[in-house]
Amino acid sequence: MAMRDTAIVAYAETKIVVKGDKDVWALGAEVLEDLLNKTGMEKGEIDGLLLSSAQTGAGNPFWAQATSDQLALEVDFCNIVDIGGSSPLGALARAAIAIDAGLCTTVFCLFADTQGRENNTRPRHYQAEWTVPLGLLGPPTSFGFITNRYEHQFGLDYSMLGKLAVAQRNGAVLNDLACEKLRVPIGVEDYLNSRMIADPIRLLDSVMVCDGASGVLITSKKNAEKKGFTKVVTPIGYGEKTSYEFSENIVDVTNTGHKPAGERALKQAGLTAQDIGSFHPYDDFIIAMMLQMEMIGFCKKGQGCDFIRERDFNFNGDLPLNTGGGQISAGQAGLAGGGTNLVEAVRQLMGEAGARQVKNTSSAMVTGIGGIPYARNWNTSTVMVLTPNG
Amino acid sequence: METINDTLHIERSAPQSRSFSEPFWNATKDKKLVVQYDTEVGKYQWLPRATSRFTGKASKLEWREVAGEGEVYSFTIVRRARPPFRGEEPFFIAVVELPEGVQIMGNTKGITKDEMKIGLKVKPYWHELPDGYHMLMWQKA
Repeated sequence: MAMRDTAIVAYAETKIVVKGDKDVWALGAEVLEDLLNKTGMEKGEIDGLLLSSAQTGAGNPFWAQATSDQLALEVDFCNIVDIGGSSPLGALARAAIAIDAGLCTTVFCLFADTQGRENNTRPRHYQAEWTVPLGLLGPPTSFGFITNRYEHQFGLDYSMLGKLAVAQRNGAVLNDLACEKLRVPIGVEDYLNSRMIADPIRLLDSVMVCDGASGVLITSKKNAEKKGFTKVVTPIGYGEKTSYEFSENIVDVTNTGHKPAGERALKQAGLTAQDIGSFHPYDDFIIAMMLQMEMIGFCKKGQGCDFIRERDFNFNGDLPLNTGGGQISAGQAGLAGGGTNLVEAVRQLMGEAGARQVKNTSSAMVTGIGGIPYARNWNTSTVMVLTPNG
Repeated sequence: METINDTLHIERSAPQSRSFSEPFWNATKDKKLVVQYDTEVGKYQWLPRATSRFTGKASKLEWREVAGEGEVYSFTIVRRARPPFRGEEPFFIAVVELPEGVQIMGNTKGITKDEMKIGLKVKPYWHELPDGYHMLMWQKA
């Protein structure tokens, strides 16, 4: 499989902050400089630039070009990936494909957004006509529908969602780059007692909008060997699904595109969900992670709570989960937030996670969620499996 | 018991319709609910689109009037909203499923917290908007 012929040779990440004072391009430059320092590579060796979409860049149809100019990168392949919160994972997959196709050799994948400081989003979609006039706040409302429906169909033990929130918060406390405001330990009671935003979605179910950037350098395996990189991480499976079951009128909102995306990614990787060393699911809301566990096959549909009850999701547990805090406890860097969980997985597989290092570094799974459609769950689902020195 | 607001006195603007949603809004002037129907596959769809959700074609869509009686598929209580809804929380947004096989979101009128549940039978309540239009809300059937 072609993706296996590529190697992530370095990752970098800025501090995540609420409404920062840095420009989105300055954050991108910070990530790039860090990657060059870590690898000893020259800027001129980078011949591809893949960006995830950014709410700061939204409305500018020349965003990838402008960013290439700002970062002083002359490249042979330049692209932005706009599948919402799935974009960072989507960008990394496309970078691997471009390298395999011979379009370029070394790609800078940049995930940067400063939604808190500068949100330029003006979606040409259904919202202004159909949901804003209802007072719909956006994602929390949609996840309120999904959660109520899940509870109606299967029953729901909210303390199990709280267990996931607590494990992620424990990770954020150990993560210097997590948003400071969130680096305070919580217990399940704090989760259960946090105020309702859109019943039954609570404050501690939800991400906080932040600014931040992360990124990776990915190159061909051949080049990585030639350059003498010994510590690399390779994507060995990827699945992506957009508009899953959208051509059906009535769907079960507890089904998501992670089912087909997960099947594809695991098949390519030659693994099952039970083999995964650490799990880094996209977390805009806590329940999204439980739905993904069910869809990807960690447990059966409708049995998420039972599964959560039996497992330990801390970094030293039997299924480490978003060990740096995830977006919910590290802060969501706008549409670049998916990069936070991706970079954490790479860090773990390289064995560089320090106080929160997981034991099982044989593989990690990262996922993405992108877009909130009308009365459905989400537009895009992605799943990637990575291994060290694959 | 906690009171859930009906949002009726919130000032709403006239609809921001598009070429493909105008027939819906025009029908609301007569408090009629019309829904797009794909004549090729014989199915209704919501919300109004430029294309069929089933085939992707733009050429086989027409508008048909439906009664609008359905049941709640899911709902949420909004407790934090942007202006002009801020300060009017809590209020419901319900996803209602019609027998024609479509799901339509709306605010509610006169449904209490005790009454609201998945499966509740509802029918349209037409709330007045500027320029003679109406907004579709849901009330108990």
